[in-house]
Amino acid sequence: MTGQAFFVLTALADGPRHGYGIVGEVAELSQGRVTLKIGSLYGVLDRLSAEGLIEPDREEAHDGRLRRYYRLTQDGRRALATEAELRAASARVVRARLRLTGTEPAG
Amino acid sequence: MSSDLDLEDRYRRVLRLLPGYYRDEWEEDMVAAFLDSRLTGDLDEDVYVVLFGRPSWQEVASVAGLAARLYLGGATAPRRYFAWGQATRFAVLAVTLVQATRGLDVLLLTAWSRRLFGWLPAPPAGMVAAMPSSLPSAVWYLVAYAWIVAFVMLALRYYRIAQFIAALAIVPDLVTLLQGQFTGRLPAPYVGPWAFFFLLNLAPVLAMTAFHRDAPSAPCWPWLLALPANYLLVVVPLLALDLNGNSAWVPDFSGLYCILVTLACLVRLPLARSRQAASSGVWSLTLVLLATDAGAYRIFSIADYLHDRHLINVGLAELLILLVAVGLIASDAARAQAAASAPPPYPQPG
Repeated sequence: MTGQAFFVLTALADGPRHGYGIVGEVAELSQGRVTLKIGSLYGVLDRLSAEGLIEPDREEAHDGRLRRYYRLTQDGRRALATEAELRAASARVVRARLRLTGTEPAG
Repeated sequence: MSSDLDLEDRYRRVLRLLPGYYRDEWEEDMVAAFLDSRLTGDLDEDVYVVLFGRPSWQEVASVAGLAARLYLGGATAPRRYFAWGQATRFAVLAVTLVQATRGLDVLLLTAWSRRLFGWLPAPPAGMVAAMPSSLPSAVWYLVAYAWIVAFVMLALRYYRIAQFIAALAIVPDLVTLLQGQFTGRLPAPYVGPWAFFFLLNLAPVLAMTAFHRDAPSAPCWPWLLALPANYLLVVVPLLALDLNGNSAWVPDFSGLYCILVTLACLVRLPLARSRQAASSGVWSLTLVLLATDAGAYRIFSIADYLHDRHLINVGLAELLILLVAVGLIASDAARAQAAASAPPPYPQPG
């Protein structure tokens, strides 16, 4: 799973969001490291929906335009949990190595 | 508000880069998200942005990147886009194979010249590969070998590494061409080398973008085996002709490219004409792409032979047989474009 897809799924973990809402949430979650352009966002959304990891939730009118909200599917929730566990395990290994070489303080 | 249409229209114009089926599904949502990203809620500022604002080049680049991925479609794309994607990927592999075969030729001639094949007699004087005596000649050898690495990486599905190596490999050629162009050290009209650079160096490097995440993996072993096979079946007979004093029969690289694509079209012909359901037309479309590349290179490189009527006639004959051969499989290539199936429907909310 790419970093962008991981953050998009994470942005939807606590509830449905519309396109720009996802962009803002991803920027906040990544502390500004991931800034999604709209073309990139919809490339990710298109791929995630084709894989059955997200689905449309509802449409709401805003300033005369329809905003489509997206939500995680059960498969998406499972995929996100698996990916989070993988990333956490990788981080644990890295931290253990750094402690061994004395480049990160224990604890 | 009419001014509201200005920024929106500009963005919709950018979205025209995307295929129609994709716009039908996503355009309104993309426009809404884009406008949300630009409008702040401050009336004065928003009026200014709507009137004079334009999509940033990063936004345009993100849409262009998405468009490239969709037109060169993966397994879930509508059939015609998948066909274009597969044909482009196969054509890139084929052109990179040609470049790698040239690199293998340099490598083996160098090894032969260093007497690393003890069981072979010494190479004839005209075929001895000289030791690199300067930085440019050393770089020339490195570039030849780099194409072998790029091809192997591509076949092994390390797509971005392959693209990076190939991109590095074309830089020295570009520097040499620019140097020659601006210093006037190289002969006019100098069209062929530029055509080679654009059609056989730059085009495949750019087209490697077709190997994206959604692209199905090509089987690696047939492509890896194609490298020694291509060397044995194409280069060795040409070397033998050259060694036996029949160098007049050895075509130039452009002519060889045309002849190889012509032969591939003729090999493909029985299946292309059989109207079997198994023939998706993708290989024929691949050959059409390769024929376009080879034909364009032949046309431009003829400019190098303007002084020799015989060579011009040979070049035109090569072009003619290529056109005839590709014409024979064109209907099968068109089959890849027909019956474009709809993409998987996106479920509607509710």
